[in-house]
Amino acid sequence: MIGYLTAILIFVIISALIGLALNLQWGQAGMVNFGIFGFFAVAAYVAALSAMAGVPALVAALLAVIATVILSALVALVSARLREDYLAIATLAFAEAVRLFLLNETWLTGGANGLPGIPRPLSGVASGLHYELMFLGISVVVLALCFVFAQLLTVSPFGRVLRALREDDLVASTLGKTTLSFRVRAFAAGGAIIGAAGSLHSFYFSYIDPTQFGAFVTAYAFMAVIAGGRGSNTGLLIGAVSVMVLLEGTRFLKDLMPFLDAGQAASLRLILIGVGLILLLIYRPQGFMREYRLQAKDGDVS
Amino acid sequence: MLQILLNGVVSGLLVALPAIALSLTYGVLNFPNFAIGSMITMGAYIALFFNVDIGVPLLLAAGLGAAGLATVALVTDRLVYKPLRNSDHVTLLVASMGVYFVLENVVRFLWGSDIRGYDIAVARPHRWMGMRVNNEQITIVIVALLAMVAVWFILMRTPLGRAMRAVSDNPDLAGVRGINRNYVIAAVWAISGVLAGFAGVLVGMDGVVDPLMGWNYILPVFAAVILGGIGNPLGAVVGALLIGVAEELSTLILPTTYRQAVAFLIIVFVLLLRPHGLFGKARISR
Repeated sequence: MIGYLTAILIFVIISALIGLALNLQWGQAGMVNFGIFGFFAVAAYVAALSAMAGVPALVAALLAVIATVILSALVALVSARLREDYLAIATLAFAEAVRLFLLNETWLTGGANGLPGIPRPLSGVASGLHYELMFLGISVVVLALCFVFAQLLTVSPFGRVLRALREDDLVASTLGKTTLSFRVRAFAAGGAIIGAAGSLHSFYFSYIDPTQFGAFVTAYAFMAVIAGGRGSNTGLLIGAVSVMVLLEGTRFLKDLMPFLDAGQAASLRLILIGVGLILLLIYRPQGFMREYRLQAKDGDVS
Repeated sequence: MLQILLNGVVSGLLVALPAIALSLTYGVLNFPNFAIGSMITMGAYIALFFNVDIGVPLLLAAGLGAAGLATVALVTDRLVYKPLRNSDHVTLLVASMGVYFVLENVVRFLWGSDIRGYDIAVARPHRWMGMRVNNEQITIVIVALLAMVAVWFILMRTPLGRAMRAVSDNPDLAGVRGINRNYVIAAVWAISGVLAGFAGVLVGMDGVVDPLMGWNYILPVFAAVILGGIGNPLGAVVGALLIGVAEELSTLILPTTYRQAVAFLIIVFVLLLRPHGLFGKARISR
């Protein structure tokens, strides 16, 4: 049972990281990233391939972060001037191109068979359940670091400019803010967090294949951000946890309805994800928490 | 060379039908319908159900598939998009992602994930001017052309079409002039459902029927719409044909597994160089 809980918690943390990234890119900066699963895949594969080549885990993770930051910046550079829906199409197209590459460059990525046997970091220190708990600890630290990073960006003048650009880029640019540069940096900062998430994913599962990086990753992230309240990092954590609890809960559907076969149960879960996303948008588009706003202290109002 | 052109035109026509559907809903509702892929899949499966499981001839089954999908599109609009009518377009496009998940997995739930095919006789390809042409390709060309003529007629020669173009151009002005927006939206969803339904059957005839068939068409369809200019159905047809030919030509220099990457490259270049497409209005950058 503890093993199962640990696994779910690590899973929640990885999703929360992806959600944090989307919360920066979309929540703060208003840039719709439908291709999250592509960036996530790049991070996972870079971390896995470098670790398998004998690079220490921390360096492998760093390489993954660098790779996603560069790619995110490039994608943003190409499309940041466009309206949100075009950005959505462009990022989705990027992710599909990544998927094609992963499936076809078998010599590098193992194609549809994926990469087995990714070395886990610090595997000599502990084993079994102890290792799982240690990995959970590492994941918590990573999440905490990324959360602080995202929160600092949000409350900084940088975050304020992002929100201004999101609301009205004409006004912001009239005030001398360079739209393109801010958007590219915001997208790259999100990419860095996705890089951390992808590395954790690779190291934890020690096996990756292209089916783990489908569009459902994007859907989870959007659900978490919308449920938590667009723009609020604390809300995002609550959102990510509740979404994952809901999704994990649907695993037990199969026990409730034994007449379904495994394939049907899996598709029913994905139907519920879709329905959940739509219901959130219709009934609770503002989420649990409000986004950060700089407020005057009491009595400070002149 | 002629053979490549022919294959390219045929695969372009396959892309053209869903591209028209996407372009119509994009123009009138002002959001990209990401569920178009799973609409293709669902149309193919409804027709497959009538054709294989019940034994209706394919032509009739295709009609039933198209009608069924038009119903699905109308129900989706009523349940999902209507409550969100006044939301911003990002909300709508995220919602369409949700619809994508629901539709594709309803298909998996009802019919499983196996690869299937229609009940059609396998025939030897015909020879014509030194090219190989098979029966499926002839059917695709005929059906796609008929559908396009029908859409053109509705858009350009009927009061409904005029209303659709008016709402697409300027919804507020159209409303002031007494055009019933809800009626136009319903008509657009029905037409888009019929087109996606027929497209599904044609795609299934050309290849196989499986739950991912529509997802694999998302990139070329979006590339066609962007290339042609958003909200311009005739532009979308030209875009689709160009992409079909470009994909076939790419097989000369690239491995065939990278065919879909052509659509990605086209999207990137169009967005970089001419984001409003070949025939679109310059209103999309922000």
